[in-house]
Amino acid sequence: MRSGGAAMRLKQFLKNNSREVGLVVALVVMTALFGAINPLYVSPANITDIINQATIYGLMALGMTFIVISGGIDLSIGSVLALIGVIVANMAVAGVHPLLCVAVGIAIGFGVGAMNGFMVAKMNLQPFVATLGAMSFIRGFAYVISGGYPIIGIPPGYRVLVDGLLVSGIRTSVLIFLTVAVICHILLKHTKFGNYTYAIGGNEEATRLSGVKVDRYKILVYAVGVSCTAVAALVQLGKLGTGEASAGQGYELNAIAAVAIGGASMAGGRGGIVGTVLGALLFAGLKVGLIVVGVDTFWQYVATGLVIVVAAYSEKIQAKLSETPGRVRAWGAQPSGARRAADD
Amino acid sequence: MYDAHIEFRNINKVFPGQQALKDVSLTIQRGEVHALLGENGAGKSTLLNILHGVFGPTSGEVRINGQPAAFANVHDAIRTGVIKVHQEINLVPEMTVMQNIFLGCEITRRGIVDKRAMQLETQRLLSGLGCRFSPDERVNHLNVGEMQMVQIAKAIHLRASIVSFDEPTFSLTAREVETLFDRILRLKAEGITILYISHKLDEIYRICDRATVLRDGAYIGTFPVARLPKERLIRSMVGRDVAMFAKRHRPRCVDWQDVVLRVKSASGNTGFQDISFSLHRGEILGFFGLVGAGRTETMRGIFGADRLTGGTVEMFGQEVAIKSPADATAQRLGLAPENRKTQGFVRVLNNLDNISLASLDKFQVGPFQLRRAKETSARRVGAKINLTPNDPGFFTTNLSGGNQQKVVIAKWLTTDAEILMLDEPTKGIDVGAKAEIYALMEELVHQGKAIIMVSGELPEIIGMSDRIVVMHDGRISAILNRDEFDETRILTYAVGGSGDAPEAISKEQ
Repeated sequence: MRSGGAAMRLKQFLKNNSREVGLVVALVVMTALFGAINPLYVSPANITDIINQATIYGLMALGMTFIVISGGIDLSIGSVLALIGVIVANMAVAGVHPLLCVAVGIAIGFGVGAMNGFMVAKMNLQPFVATLGAMSFIRGFAYVISGGYPIIGIPPGYRVLVDGLLVSGIRTSVLIFLTVAVICHILLKHTKFGNYTYAIGGNEEATRLSGVKVDRYKILVYAVGVSCTAVAALVQLGKLGTGEASAGQGYELNAIAAVAIGGASMAGGRGGIVGTVLGALLFAGLKVGLIVVGVDTFWQYVATGLVIVVAAYSEKIQAKLSETPGRVRAWGAQPSGARRAADD
Repeated sequence: MYDAHIEFRNINKVFPGQQALKDVSLTIQRGEVHALLGENGAGKSTLLNILHGVFGPTSGEVRINGQPAAFANVHDAIRTGVIKVHQEINLVPEMTVMQNIFLGCEITRRGIVDKRAMQLETQRLLSGLGCRFSPDERVNHLNVGEMQMVQIAKAIHLRASIVSFDEPTFSLTAREVETLFDRILRLKAEGITILYISHKLDEIYRICDRATVLRDGAYIGTFPVARLPKERLIRSMVGRDVAMFAKRHRPRCVDWQDVVLRVKSASGNTGFQDISFSLHRGEILGFFGLVGAGRTETMRGIFGADRLTGGTVEMFGQEVAIKSPADATAQRLGLAPENRKTQGFVRVLNNLDNISLASLDKFQVGPFQLRRAKETSARRVGAKINLTPNDPGFFTTNLSGGNQQKVVIAKWLTTDAEILMLDEPTKGIDVGAKAEIYALMEELVHQGKAIIMVSGELPEIIGMSDRIVVMHDGRISAILNRDEFDETRILTYAVGGSGDAPEAISKEQ
């Protein structure tokens, strides 16, 4: 009886988290496959390398998860990475305390995100277009501030704070990534803000008619989302030791890819932090794996693209399976066509 | 001379949980303007949809010119010259008039679109209709009346022999209505058969030759309009045994001394003007009107979903400024919108999240949401309203219509809402679920809440209301007390007629 209950609960868990379970399986299969071709792939050094690679995309993808679930998108975060990089680099070089550098960096991210959110919520611009604009002028500011030159000479104090070695192979950056991921997960699943993020992405009008201040929360979603990119920028600066206005080009697409692989719906309302973290790991693991097994650079692009498409398609199939007509009919819901006609 | 153009023979149409048409047979003569009449949900649009190939009948057949005509889809019907001028205009707004008219049947010469020829033809069509806009005008620059003209031009271009209009004057100005009628009569003069659905009886008397009345999906009769008094027409539309199941089972509980909501001359540019009424504790106030009377818009205006352009709202004796649904919710007002699926609940959320959506503040401890408390609360309210299944993890979208409505109501019960505005609360749900919703409403007013029930169904409004506000064309045409409830009378006010006994109207100021 007891074990039966446990089996039931396990079954329910698998059903509710089918996306995440699928990703874990894919991750294991992929690792085994690359490992079989080249055992070097599963060496501790390589694994840490993958995790390190996943950190930057992963942090950006964490923030993008909120934005995508709310039904939006933000193309500007690659530029934000560069802008915060050059500003904070200047501060760090000038001898500002590392913790103050971090605080300013996150504040800028929050502010830029709030601006993007304002354009979407208050000016009613389409997220794609609004953030496409932001992508360009934020990149412009980064160039203006840096004059186009890389800013070098980041003090070790700063670098150790964001990317120091904790124990063998584990860096603070990884710890930061995990911490931010946990915070994001709690935000999304256990706060009002998270509840509204799903609701707005699912049906903005119904949410508004439930008395939710939708505009305010949409602005907050972008602010929180871009703040994650700010953390990524701070870590990246510590890793590279230089601030460059050309940094992060195309990173927004990698972040979106990780979110999509993680199972979030670009139409909004669906997605989660666990999925995104797994998506980021899968994405980084794939990139490293293709190099390790010696796939030609050009073919790497092809393979990466295919994985994104396949992942997106598997999400579609899953969505279809979880809404089988049989289950709908079980409770007597009418198909939408019939309802429309019945409304006369 | 009897020349049958369209014959409906024993048409039945069954939707899950509802028979929309019951053995309907009627004949439309060639070249007449034929009205289809009936209340909301009588089956008029269903009949038209069958004619136009939107869906087939469950049994029975449609004959055109004596030949069976079972169109597989809308395009089949259009190719045969059976064309509908839509309630919601179906043109491509970013394209020009010409492009729209020729959409799908462009004139080409050796694969290249022949713009000149299409322009000439469009110009010919437009001048024939007396339209003064250019073929190259983009459709989104036209007003609704002009868009309708484009649709009519398109129908002529496609050599239509049957054109149907579903509520064509819905959003037209008086002048545009005149133009439309003139063109409809021109189409008739060219021998085109016209089907016409409208709730406005004046229009029927102006342009229709005969009228067929449907009621609850059944054929009632076909009458020559000229020889039929308006009153008899109305009676044939209604005339049914009221209150089979829509009735109150407990003693009335209105506290006439306690006004919880007073609206004074509220107006909005979404289509309502000078709305004044009051709502009392323990009262169910019915809002009746036909499609387009402005009831939903009025509710949205009061709730802050659309802006009020004038008037004041008082709640519990205090004037309140409601500028958004958030303000309304804070004032303990709740709204269950007419369109449950697109506005009432969120598809991707489960019952738990939908029920708690309006009251998350209640479950907040520090920065966190108390999931346990939320779940307990959702289960408790679910049990109270007999939600089936009462499972917080169940997705609302997979529930039946009645249970979905219960979730929407549960959402407001979880807040401290004292006043509930229920817009068509029983639309599209089966009789059993209706009875449950009615019982729930009664329970709520007994607890001291007040309810506004917007409905287009007479038996429901008469059976459930303590008073009835009747709206016509964006204004209140009467507020009736219980001893004045009478189907014919209510419907007369709803179609814009003045009451037969004007002194009996208790219109509030």
